[in-house]
Amino acid sequence: MKKTLLLVLAMTFLVSPFLFSAGQAARDDGYEIVVVPKDSSNPWFVRMKEGVDEYREETGLNVYQRGTAQIDATLQAQLVQDLIAQGVDAICVVPVDIESIDPVLEQARNAGIVVITHEGAALENVDYNIEAFSNVGYGAFIMDNLAEAMDYEGVYTTMVASLTVGAHNEWANAGVAHQKENYPNMTLLAAQPRVESHDNGDIAYNVALELFKAYPQLKGIMGTSSYDAPGIARAIEELGLVDRVFTSGTGLPLDNAALLESGIVKSLTLWDPAEAGKAMASLALKVLNGEEIAAPVDLGIGGYNAMTFREGSNTTLEGEGWIIINADNVYDFGF
Amino acid sequence: MDEMLKLKLKRISRKNEPYLFLVLLALCLLIEVRSGQFFAANNLVDIASALIVPGLFAIGAFMVIVSGGIDVSFPALASLSVYASTTYLLSIDYQGGVWLAFLLSILIGAVLGLFNGIFIGYFKLPTLIVTLGSTNVFRGIMQGALDSKQLATIPSGMREFGTSALFIARNPVSGLTSRMPVAFLVFAGVLILMFLMLRYTMFGRSIYSIGGSEVSAHRAGYNVVRTKIIIYILVGMIASAAGVIRVSMMQQLHPTNMLGMELKVIAGVVLGGTAITGGRGTLLGCMIGTLLIVIVENSMILLGIPTSWRSVFTGALIIIGTGVSARQVISMHKVKSRSIKQPIRRGA
Amino acid sequence: MADSLLKVVDVYKSFVGVKALQDVTFSIQPGEIHCLAGENGSGKSTLIKIISGVYTPDAGSIEINGRQYNKLTPIEAINNGIQVIYQDFSIFPNLTVMENLAVNSELSEHRKLVNWKRMRTIAEDAVSKIDFDVDLDELVGSLSVAQKQMVAISRALIFNTKLIIMDEPTTALTKREVSNLFKIILKLKERGISILFVSHKLNEMYEISENFTILRNGKVVATGSTKELDAEKFSFHMTGRKFTKRHYRVERLSSEPMFEAKQAGVQNGFEDVTFSLHKGEILGVTGLLDSGRTELALSLFGMRPIDSGQFYMYGKPVTLSSPKAAIHNKIGFVPEDRLSEGLFLPQSIADNVVISEIDRLTKKAGLVDKEKRAEEIEKWVRELAIATPDPNNLCQTLSGGNQQRVVLAKWLACNLEMLVLNGPTVGVDIGSKHDIHGILQDLAKSGLGVIIISDDLPEVLENCSRVLVMKAGRIVADLETDKTDESVILSYMM
Repeated sequence: MKKTLLLVLAMTFLVSPFLFSAGQAARDDGYEIVVVPKDSSNPWFVRMKEGVDEYREETGLNVYQRGTAQIDATLQAQLVQDLIAQGVDAICVVPVDIESIDPVLEQARNAGIVVITHEGAALENVDYNIEAFSNVGYGAFIMDNLAEAMDYEGVYTTMVASLTVGAHNEWANAGVAHQKENYPNMTLLAAQPRVESHDNGDIAYNVALELFKAYPQLKGIMGTSSYDAPGIARAIEELGLVDRVFTSGTGLPLDNAALLESGIVKSLTLWDPAEAGKAMASLALKVLNGEEIAAPVDLGIGGYNAMTFREGSNTTLEGEGWIIINADNVYDFGF
Repeated sequence: MDEMLKLKLKRISRKNEPYLFLVLLALCLLIEVRSGQFFAANNLVDIASALIVPGLFAIGAFMVIVSGGIDVSFPALASLSVYASTTYLLSIDYQGGVWLAFLLSILIGAVLGLFNGIFIGYFKLPTLIVTLGSTNVFRGIMQGALDSKQLATIPSGMREFGTSALFIARNPVSGLTSRMPVAFLVFAGVLILMFLMLRYTMFGRSIYSIGGSEVSAHRAGYNVVRTKIIIYILVGMIASAAGVIRVSMMQQLHPTNMLGMELKVIAGVVLGGTAITGGRGTLLGCMIGTLLIVIVENSMILLGIPTSWRSVFTGALIIIGTGVSARQVISMHKVKSRSIKQPIRRGA
Repeated sequence: MADSLLKVVDVYKSFVGVKALQDVTFSIQPGEIHCLAGENGSGKSTLIKIISGVYTPDAGSIEINGRQYNKLTPIEAINNGIQVIYQDFSIFPNLTVMENLAVNSELSEHRKLVNWKRMRTIAEDAVSKIDFDVDLDELVGSLSVAQKQMVAISRALIFNTKLIIMDEPTTALTKREVSNLFKIILKLKERGISILFVSHKLNEMYEISENFTILRNGKVVATGSTKELDAEKFSFHMTGRKFTKRHYRVERLSSEPMFEAKQAGVQNGFEDVTFSLHKGEILGVTGLLDSGRTELALSLFGMRPIDSGQFYMYGKPVTLSSPKAAIHNKIGFVPEDRLSEGLFLPQSIADNVVISEIDRLTKKAGLVDKEKRAEEIEKWVRELAIATPDPNNLCQTLSGGNQQRVVLAKWLACNLEMLVLNGPTVGVDIGSKHDIHGILQDLAKSGLGVIIISDDLPEVLENCSRVLVMKAGRIVADLETDKTDESVILSYMM
């Protein structure tokens, strides 16, 4: 009796994630293209899903997004492995961790599946990697925003989700390089040049609290993950440092409307994840159709219609999809 | 008289808390020496504020571990109950006080706790298996059935509660200010109630008794099944209250924000001298252990530890801390067994 | 017999078709010390549970103070003054003595809140009843076994107790602790409290009880006054078998000693231990619990290597620095606590038998030779008559006696020169004990050197040709067993 019960219980536990996740009916005609985000609850990827869904409606192709419950490199790798076993035609991944996903993508490619990634320039086993923009360009763009808020002077540091997130670190590096070239009155905090937020607003908040306490001269923090700037802003507000210290970084408009309007954060930078999702699917389709991919690549999506290969790379394509968000235009984007 | 004193000293030296307290003090002094910031009023307030949510979780985890079980589902449980109640309040455009958020969330938490409790108490399944499973179930319901996403706005009552301060600490040197959240009172209240319950009610003693020997507890006349079910209901309620506080303080709801906290919370409880095998431990030790973890987590930059070494440092503290208290217990046992043997030999 | 405190009349009880108790009738008078004996599985525990109201009999009745109960509940049993002290004492090792003592009465009064002052009063009251001197704030887990038992007895006395059932109370006690326990039992008797003493040790029954009841296969096979019982009758009633005593006689003694110890010593254990063992003899080592006999046993198997003196085998010095070294020198060891030291209970009987000779059964490639393994297992299960339908069953399914045979089989499979046994029949029932003795004697005759370390004097006298008596870490006597008796040995021990 107890054993049966245990079995039933175990089965329920195993099945429950599938029961509750929306089912995707397989379609026989055409290609099956799956977009795998870092997770499925971050509004960033909720927005990406909107783009992917829109693309499906526009094209009638079997394109859908499927994400793991939380940000977890292992779970993401498992999900991709499941998709390989399922025999989909193309997988578009926004990788959580470069090193753990790369071997899985190799399996995918060996199985004849087209692999497109986003924010994964350091990956080896891909057909193509899409960046909304060059990481160097975007890093410099964030730095321009931060520098303007800081009045082009003072000590700053950089925050990333974790030291293993490729794109965040490339932006931060580029931002620092851009500052050294253009803003001589600004300096990078030597003692803590880079801190981590683990994509968690509460950790970003606590780390910022500590930074401001330990380094009173600190005037700005360059955020990268979409959790960074809002967390840092909460610390700025609580410590009574509004208008004395500043932050900038990636963030969604509506989520941060209050912060931008109150002036705690002057401006945030962004690209539209919905467009990035569409671009991945579109590029996957081109590859599946056997089209030749030669620069400039036109994916038929704004900001992605003249993509060029990154210098020294024949897989990473870069667009010019960045945008700036401030108190004036925060409600203009519809997400 | 002298004998009495000796006995008392011996008993104190056998306790875990004094050693832990010394470790805590040493850590605080180290941070103070490295940064000169630790004992500043605003920093202490920051630590207190960072303690609230892990502290509440730790109280629940402590109760379960003392009863001889282990619970890893409380972050998922808290996430689900707070997500469900917050989205409901948003959907009815609730403008009232935070009490309703607490009430709803705690009610849902009690039901989810009952779910754990029935499998563990009534069907006598292993606690780790049940709570690992229910973690998935709770997360699955939140992610799937409720289609959870990050909520940028939360009901006004929660927003006000999250920013209202008992007092504001100001650092005279740097001018930095920190709010002592009103939520700290919730934590303090739960802590005191729990202390009184564990010490002065038969229910509280039954938790220790079950942790010591379930068979003996049953024979003594305790209702073991009922006690276990109530324990998990209480854990569900406390964790859900912590969930409401976390969301209120963050001013936004990130559904996955609390997931993964269970390991550090349990580490803190065990660090505080609670026997993982059940039956032994004090709420005071549990709080010191949790405080140690919270301080370490929030003092890496003050200590000047490079980012890449953070987790190594936290891990090392947990190993050293639990190691020290474990050794303490071992050496105590050695002394004891020798002292029992000696008089017999003399007699023989 | 109208004034019986407790009367069990024609009680039947069966579990899923298995008859646990059949037609059991017995009674206890106020202030009587009654011994209940029986082998494992004889129905003792079932009977205890019926008396304490845990089980309801299928037929028959229980009379307490003349009142008849067909269905006795645990609460009614307690209210009638019946208390059970289980072998594990039902204590909470993590709580203080005080709380352990007071918790039962607090619960029976349905209290919701804890009043520590009242608990202390209850506890002080309880320990004073048997003049038990203990620190009430000590954790019970750090007390000795005897002290834990005292806690359990004190707790039983809190209620208006008329009958205390003690389930094998002497199992883990030293001689001194046993005599202390008996003093307390006599004191309780003076106060008119009856004791139902569950035991399978004859000498204890003689010493403490007035009347006895022996159960076998769920039936009362003998009952009456303890005075009329002797060892032969006792073992017959217990097992249903007649045993002839087999005093061990040395037949062929080797001229040269096979094993010698010269001035051997271990710190905090024993010192200046010198003896020799010849092929064909069984050497006994006895002494009180703290005499150093256990330490000597461990040293002989390399578990506590000696730090002074020397061991020799066939005249050559050997260093027994680890169990591995001992096995290499063809020395085997049967530990006192076979459950925790000698066997892998959750593994099969077969695996346990071959574990020590695993090297010999391994082929060159590092794989176990399956055929050879099966042969070995077959041989030993047959030779030692291990009662199992299938050697692949788990070891924990066996009775104590059969488990001990598995331990023996494990060692004999290694072609030993010498076998050291520490308390070989502790917790083993009479039938198996007899069989194990027989096996040991046969082994010694065939040339195996055997050392039995035991405080069971009849066992030593019956099986050993020579006995060394240890006291405070030294050998104080070396006696020929056919020229001595228990009282002489005891005089050296004490």
